[in-house]
Amino acid sequence: MALKLTESEFGIERDAEKCISCQVCVRQCSNDVHDFDSDDDTIVSDNQSCVGCHRCESMCPTGALEVKEREAQFKTNANWSPEHLKNLYKQADAGGVMLTSMGSDKPYPIYWDHILFNASQVTNPSIDPLREPMEIKTFIGKKSNKLEFEKVHGDEDKSQAKNILGGTGKVSKIRLKSKVSPQLELSTPIIFSAMSYGSISFNACKSLAAASSEFGTYYNTGEGGLHQDLYKYAKNTIVQVASGRFGVDIDYLNKGAAIEIKIGQGAKPGIGGHLPGEKVTKDISNTRMIPEGTDAISPAPHHDIYSIEDLSQLIHALKEATEWTKPVGVKVSAVHNIAPIASGIVRAGADFVSIDGLRGGTGAAPQVTRDNVGIPIELATASVDERLREEGIRHQASLLVAGSIRSSSDVIKAIALGADAVYIGTAALIAMGCHLCQKCYTGKCNWGIATQDPYLTKRLNPEIGTRRLLNLLRAWSLEVKEMLGGAGINAIESIRGNREHLRGISLSDRELDILGIKHAGEPW
Amino acid sequence: MIEVKVNKDHKVSNKKIKGIVDYLIIGNSASGLAAAESIRETDKKGRLVVITEEEYTNYSKPLITYYLAGKVDLDNIYFKPESFYKDNNIELLTSTNIKSIDPEKQEIVTGSRDKINYKKLLIASGGRPIVPGIKISGRSVKAALPFDSIDGSNYSDVGGIFTLTTLEDSIRIKNYIEKNEIKSITILGGGLIGLKSAEAFLEIGLKINIVELADRILAATFDSQASGIIENAIESTGSRIYKNNTIEEIFVDSGKVYGYRLRDGRENDCDLLILAIGVSPDLGFIKEGMIDTNRGIKVDSRMKTSAENVYAAGDIIEGLDILLEENRNIAIWPLAVRQGRIAGSNMAGNTVDYEGGFFMNSVEILDIPSISMGVTNLSMQDDNGVEIKKIFKPDQNLYRKIVIKDDKIIGVIMIGNIERAGIYSGLIRNRIDLSGVKENIYREDFGIIHLPSEYKKHLVVGEGIEV
Amino acid sequence: MQGSHGNKIMKNIFIQEEYCLGCRLCEIYCQVKHSKSKKIIKAFKKELVDSLPRVLVEEIGYNSFAIQCRHCVDAPCEDACISGAMVKNKKTGVVICNEKKCVGCWSCIMVCPYGVIKRDLSAKKIASKCDLCEDEDIPVCVKNCPNEALKFKEIDQKELVDDRSESK
Repeated sequence: MALKLTESEFGIERDAEKCISCQVCVRQCSNDVHDFDSDDDTIVSDNQSCVGCHRCESMCPTGALEVKEREAQFKTNANWSPEHLKNLYKQADAGGVMLTSMGSDKPYPIYWDHILFNASQVTNPSIDPLREPMEIKTFIGKKSNKLEFEKVHGDEDKSQAKNILGGTGKVSKIRLKSKVSPQLELSTPIIFSAMSYGSISFNACKSLAAASSEFGTYYNTGEGGLHQDLYKYAKNTIVQVASGRFGVDIDYLNKGAAIEIKIGQGAKPGIGGHLPGEKVTKDISNTRMIPEGTDAISPAPHHDIYSIEDLSQLIHALKEATEWTKPVGVKVSAVHNIAPIASGIVRAGADFVSIDGLRGGTGAAPQVTRDNVGIPIELATASVDERLREEGIRHQASLLVAGSIRSSSDVIKAIALGADAVYIGTAALIAMGCHLCQKCYTGKCNWGIATQDPYLTKRLNPEIGTRRLLNLLRAWSLEVKEMLGGAGINAIESIRGNREHLRGISLSDRELDILGIKHAGEPW
Repeated sequence: MIEVKVNKDHKVSNKKIKGIVDYLIIGNSASGLAAAESIRETDKKGRLVVITEEEYTNYSKPLITYYLAGKVDLDNIYFKPESFYKDNNIELLTSTNIKSIDPEKQEIVTGSRDKINYKKLLIASGGRPIVPGIKISGRSVKAALPFDSIDGSNYSDVGGIFTLTTLEDSIRIKNYIEKNEIKSITILGGGLIGLKSAEAFLEIGLKINIVELADRILAATFDSQASGIIENAIESTGSRIYKNNTIEEIFVDSGKVYGYRLRDGRENDCDLLILAIGVSPDLGFIKEGMIDTNRGIKVDSRMKTSAENVYAAGDIIEGLDILLEENRNIAIWPLAVRQGRIAGSNMAGNTVDYEGGFFMNSVEILDIPSISMGVTNLSMQDDNGVEIKKIFKPDQNLYRKIVIKDDKIIGVIMIGNIERAGIYSGLIRNRIDLSGVKENIYREDFGIIHLPSEYKKHLVVGEGIEV
Repeated sequence: MQGSHGNKIMKNIFIQEEYCLGCRLCEIYCQVKHSKSKKIIKAFKKELVDSLPRVLVEEIGYNSFAIQCRHCVDAPCEDACISGAMVKNKKTGVVICNEKKCVGCWSCIMVCPYGVIKRDLSAKKIASKCDLCEDEDIPVCVKNCPNEALKFKEIDQKELVDDRSESK
């Protein structure tokens, strides 16, 4: 089609003085943007195909390339924005649902950036985390209503006393009498979100698994099953059971450290999933337990869950199947009614509730859903924590929150708003090289992350991926400790739901009210 | 006239060796020195003596034609550094030929009747050029020369007739060219030495005639297509090649060659004649019955001869040809070094087996590189299970032929493009089964990536390799 | 032949084929390293004419790897060299072709089972091969591999010998 209604989003500037025609850019672009002309020994770039992933720019050995975002050259119109025009042209061309990937980039308020954290001055000493003990370990799972202890005679069962809650063993003469529900022990309150093998490459999965294992936290399989080669990280694996039930059998459930029932995802509440058949390679078909080359369709709802009671049945079925040895949680998107839904989930017997907010990522979602459905995770966190406390059931389940946790300050704010720990997905992918071009759905990820093309998946060396994720966890954990210490607090669990340490800025009374925080300038 | 400038330090006078020598090595070239080095890996102290009949310290025999062509000077003809003998604590005895060996007494006798006793002996004295008996005639031939046909002992008495296997030969030829106005050079023999000589003369811009008994040059290693490419290139310089032919009579005037008559009756002018028919193991000093010999000295896989404490290596032996699965004389440098190393290691008390070898050679003539290896002259009719893959582009001087038998490569010819030839020699040496990848192996861009995955894995050693 | 060099520890380049992108940055940096100015833009724009990289990327579809001289324990090129140009340094284990001594007989090309020695025809005909960037801490191909598909680490050469001799 010669007529081009849409303009290229990016302009590729090649400095001829610097370009040595080495063709690294040509070889690296899966979108065939760059083309080498051997007659002239020059490389020509096609702006139209560029997705703005910056792979070529990063790889260019002479710095000859610059990928620049182009201002859309439409006549200025406050109502009909360039984005509307582009989408209209595209849809008029193709007539389908506009697909997109990763989290919403719309300028909705980001409450993290309107919340400030506290620090100690005079009245309460701050703590230097480099010199004094600082505990950021936390546990995910149902906590007992009350704890009862009993005395142990002689040195009988010393080992059991030691094992409970990772105690020191010094309490050898006193033993915990209450039965404690199974817990996940997190060395840092950060877990890698559910990203399936299929939506991301094996090497990406392996990096997440290896990093969580080495750091002492967890990663989540998503609805992709568990690849055999990742069994060795089983102790750090949260296995997901979603509406398509892909890869689920008793071995899979038993392999996981915890089980998560997935009801919804922040990027596409109410929408199922669809992994196109061409991505269902032999390995993926084995892992998902479906025929090679068939579409993997996760239905929008679980067809056996139409009520809290149905959910309760599944929770209990999974607990029964795994002999009550591991926590079972439920993941939902943050929607308008999230507080009562979360309450229902806790009452249904879930050991943890995972909530994914409006800006949560995805491998593929209808743009209209991603950008218009759900609520921000900050509001959902506060509202769910508040509701569960009001109902006196907050301790019955842990709260994991997700949906664009971008930094350690987002982590600590989320916990202060009421979360036990956070899930990070997009941040982890970025650590591995993702440049947020939002084209995961094309399967042509030049960074080797969101692709199954063996030519591209090689680009993510899991050794590097693991190292970078470990660095991220280490850096954020250190920063969390710094922030806690500054506020005079020496344990992450002491800040959970401790909203007095938060203040809002440029927020309305209604927003402050929902977040349950005071405005900046208001004392305790 | 070229002064023979040999570094004095390299020259060691003929001195007497007293006492028993732990390791006595006859031969100061590829095999002998590799053995010496190998002995020193294990035994740093044992007395080690190297004897050579030549007057120079080590020099590389294959370089003598490069020296002739002026591509290498005498300072660079040495393949071991000057300090080699000192570093390895080796006593070198030059200009000393061997008269006989007595394995019973563990003793050798030199040309000057000196006796040297050894504990272990290595014979690595190499080969000697074959000189054909050719009638000579001409004006006042009788007056100048006391013989009427040449042989190995007298050919050098005729001015302008040379063999070319030693540095001395090369220096003498160079001097002869300087002193005499050479108009026409003939090389008798179109084999390897002949071609190496040809390479040198063409390099210095001299035209040559080659006389070859077979129907093509390099007949032993090339097929007719391969020979054709090289022949055309040589002839394009104005040189000529006489095939199916030989020299029947040499014309001499005043003790110098001036021409010859070919078997077919044609006559050519010639003022420099190189006899390059071939080289054979030099067994002259081995008395019958002392050591088992055939065409060369027979050795076992440890390079040991039939005599106690006597080892042999290099061009003088018959070693295992892994392709023909029989022992035969393959006089090439890489195998000489290999055999020398193995002999030395065994002499020093280790147990190392020679895994065998096969023929290979690399020649570059007139900027056309060529490599041949293994058995290249089989045809598909000769044998069941033989497959031949070829690329033949004579206009580009390009040829590649791969001979496969029972799914394994047994021979390769590469002309024009010799890149990555060694991958083929690795495949031959390791007897790699290529069923399944045969379609790839003759491609011009052939590489390791085309190889069977097990072998590829074996080559590309490293952790995390998935092939 | 175990006896010849013993089990000395040396550093060598390991190839992780499964992570090679086929970007050929290793080849590019190798050429720069062995150029006159050692400056990438200048080297490519003004200096390199026929100069070859000493590391070679082989590629079929998504399978690719970069291979350079393996600096064999028992280097066949050293045995085959008729001029004494190709020498394995007994201390460092590095096999170096002395370009002054090399006469371009291509015997090394004939015997190298990896096919990693090339004819360099840019000036005098000489064999061109990896020198493991002796004056660098890490060879430039390794240093510049964006995916760590090449690693430079110590290797017990004894192990390598045993491994190689097994399949003989």
